[in-house]
Amino acid sequence: MSLLYLLARWLDRISPAPIAYAHCDIPCGIYDPHHAQLAAHTVVRMVDLINQLEKPGSSSTPDQRQEYTNKLARYIATKEQHSEIAKNEVRILWGDYFKPEHLKTFPELHDLVWKALKSGSKARQEINLQAAEDLLKATNDIASIYWKTKGFETITAKAPYPTERLTVYPKFK
Amino acid sequence: MFPLRRFRVEDDSMRPALEPGDYVLVNRWAYKFRPPAKGDLVVVRDPETPDRFLVKRVSDASDAGEIRVVGDNSNRSRDSRSFGPIDHLEIIGKVWIRLR
Repeated sequence: MSLLYLLARWLDRISPAPIAYAHCDIPCGIYDPHHAQLAAHTVVRMVDLINQLEKPGSSSTPDQRQEYTNKLARYIATKEQHSEIAKNEVRILWGDYFKPEHLKTFPELHDLVWKALKSGSKARQEINLQAAEDLLKATNDIASIYWKTKGFETITAKAPYPTERLTVYPKFK
Repeated sequence: MFPLRRFRVEDDSMRPALEPGDYVLVNRWAYKFRPPAKGDLVVVRDPETPDRFLVKRVSDASDAGEIRVVGDNSNRSRDSRSFGPIDHLEIIGKVWIRLR
């Protein structure tokens, strides 16, 4: 510990030195819209599965009803979870990644986030394919903006999952 | 304006050159007569939070008066890789000596 260091520390008592951050904060800088898109796909898939599920008729046995209820409950639980994941991921991108200068280039961003959150809630509350599709579309649109701010072009392609819905992917060089 | 200003270093994006708790004396006149050069340790205004300061290393100095800064400990640093180049007017000064 040098004498000058002790002097600097002593000076802190009179007037504290401003802090120069060598920092992380942690805005770790690691963001990716894929989480939100993936969760939205799951929500779409759950609505599809619920709609494909054969409803037990009046002549069904207790076992059939139990099996139906079990499957339905599992699909609904997953739909609940993943619509919340999608909403949370969108909030993280919005609150932590996007900056006012991005908004200058993409003034529709706030509205897209709002749409994603609203349709996410609706997809969670109801068995509503349109709401799930709207959620996916909003996450795709946000992904498209995200990749543009990173300097990447995007392509829209059919997802390789059972949902097969159009999805925005970055075109890495 | 007195040329020297002292700062206390926090966080570890400049390890091993600067450790948290070090003091640096910054020469605010360093760039009056010559432009910042690659490799200089500088204190700059945080472009994302103007009332705070960052200490970083110049990684690129262009003719247009813009510089890029990075942390030595690059996977622990938020710097020009995320906020882009910074204007030379945002530079407080060059680190003259480190006190430890």
